[in-house]
Amino acid sequence: MTAIIKYILLNGLRDRLYLGVFIALFASLTVSIIFGSTFLIEQQSATSAFSAGSSRIIFIFGVTLFVCLNLHRNFESKEIEFIISKSISRHKIILSYVSGYILSAIIILLPLIAALFFLTDSDSLGLFYWSLSMGLESLMVVTFAILATLILNNAFSAILASIGFYILSRMMGIFVLTIDLPSKYSDFLGNFLPSILKIISIAFPRLDLYSKSEWLTYGVADFSDIKIILLQSLVYIPLLLFMSFHDFGKKQF
Amino acid sequence: MCRERLSKVFLFAFLAFFLGQIFFWYNSNDIKPQFEIVANPPNKSLIKAMALGDKEFLFHSLALRLQNSGDIFAGFAPLKNYNYKNLYNWMILLDDLNYRSNIIPHLATYYYSNTQNKQDLIYIIDYLDKHADRNIDDKWLWLTHAILLANGKYNDSQKALILSDKLAKNTSDKDIPLWTKQLSAFIYADMGDSCMAFAIIKNLIDEHEQNKRQISAQEMEFMRHFIKNRLDKLKSEKFDPTKCRNYSKNYQKS
Repeated sequence: MTAIIKYILLNGLRDRLYLGVFIALFASLTVSIIFGSTFLIEQQSATSAFSAGSSRIIFIFGVTLFVCLNLHRNFESKEIEFIISKSISRHKIILSYVSGYILSAIIILLPLIAALFFLTDSDSLGLFYWSLSMGLESLMVVTFAILATLILNNAFSAILASIGFYILSRMMGIFVLTIDLPSKYSDFLGNFLPSILKIISIAFPRLDLYSKSEWLTYGVADFSDIKIILLQSLVYIPLLLFMSFHDFGKKQF
Repeated sequence: MCRERLSKVFLFAFLAFFLGQIFFWYNSNDIKPQFEIVANPPNKSLIKAMALGDKEFLFHSLALRLQNSGDIFAGFAPLKNYNYKNLYNWMILLDDLNYRSNIIPHLATYYYSNTQNKQDLIYIIDYLDKHADRNIDDKWLWLTHAILLANGKYNDSQKALILSDKLAKNTSDKDIPLWTKQLSAFIYADMGDSCMAFAIIKNLIDEHEQNKRQISAQEMEFMRHFIKNRLDKLKSEKFDPTKCRNYSKNYQKS
């Protein structure tokens, strides 16, 4: 298990994941500072919001690309088959991959948090919750990207599915909020698409509640958001993990 | 032989299409993109969906866009050409994303209020009024700006009076300066209605004497001076100052 984790961390280095994402994050932080300084007032809060928002997008997309492409390459090069031939259970392989990818994500996340702490005038408690929330969000994205790669057997389909899942999950709040299911069956046909959207929202996590930039500026006023995030992660991450165990367990090599 | 001929056909086809592209450019290079200085804002649900859960990031992106609107084609459009109704809708929409920030009321007060078209100022005044409504104890300063704009540049004392009355009666924070309660008196004095100005200040002094409000000695001195001036003015106009008592009673009741 440790060997697989080390191997994934080395893959991140070999694929220039850390370097690539660091350069992109550096560029986004620089642009955020420049944009923030152009505001007439509240430059610091603008810099915090731009830095946190843009770096979150870069970070999530970088991690998604790395997981999908790296795992797919491991299948293509028969490395997975080689690992399976050793005395390690299939669910342990999945757990090792999740641990490896999430450690790679944390390697990128830690300097980002440090940069936000030193470069912006962020609320300390808010930054702590933002970082915790980012960690859980990246764990969810990593597990979904693994599942998508396992099911779809194609790197590009998996990337598209993972990005689509991420965007839809971040939009779920507004769907849940604005769409009311029709009370009568006869009204259902007139509201077909919104109703379907409302129904599929059951299967999506509420990522719109995660990593809000406003925590960095105004702190966390309502701790119920944090409780919901912890509860959602506690439910959804195991759900994705067990689905991956099931799919990988049934795979024929 | 056949391949050579085909290659020539492709070359001629390429040159023909390249000429076609030049012809297209010749006819299309004058077409400039239509650009509205302040476009109509999207609806509230769409903007919340666009935020992808991070309203603060979207708020700052759109606030930056609003700050720089009019900066088009390497030039600046004068404020009189802006659509202030759209601008008002944008500002209200951005307040829905983040009403705690002072970026938008600051822009409205110090930048967009400088329009050459004075009629457009009503949108700025209404926006500042609505912004202050969200939490008047925290946002009272923007309401005073709305009052000053209404009374000054917009030249509508009645509007200024309505807003100053709102400011005086709705703020409950004790740290808010006393002059926010006196603004109506100053506006009435400006309008030449010394009686109402007298009544408002008298009412504040009465509250102090009844221990309902703590007022510093300097403030009391100023208010006594203000009342003396009003009384002198009323006397010079041969008006019976005792009639102002009715005003004072009516003001207290309202």
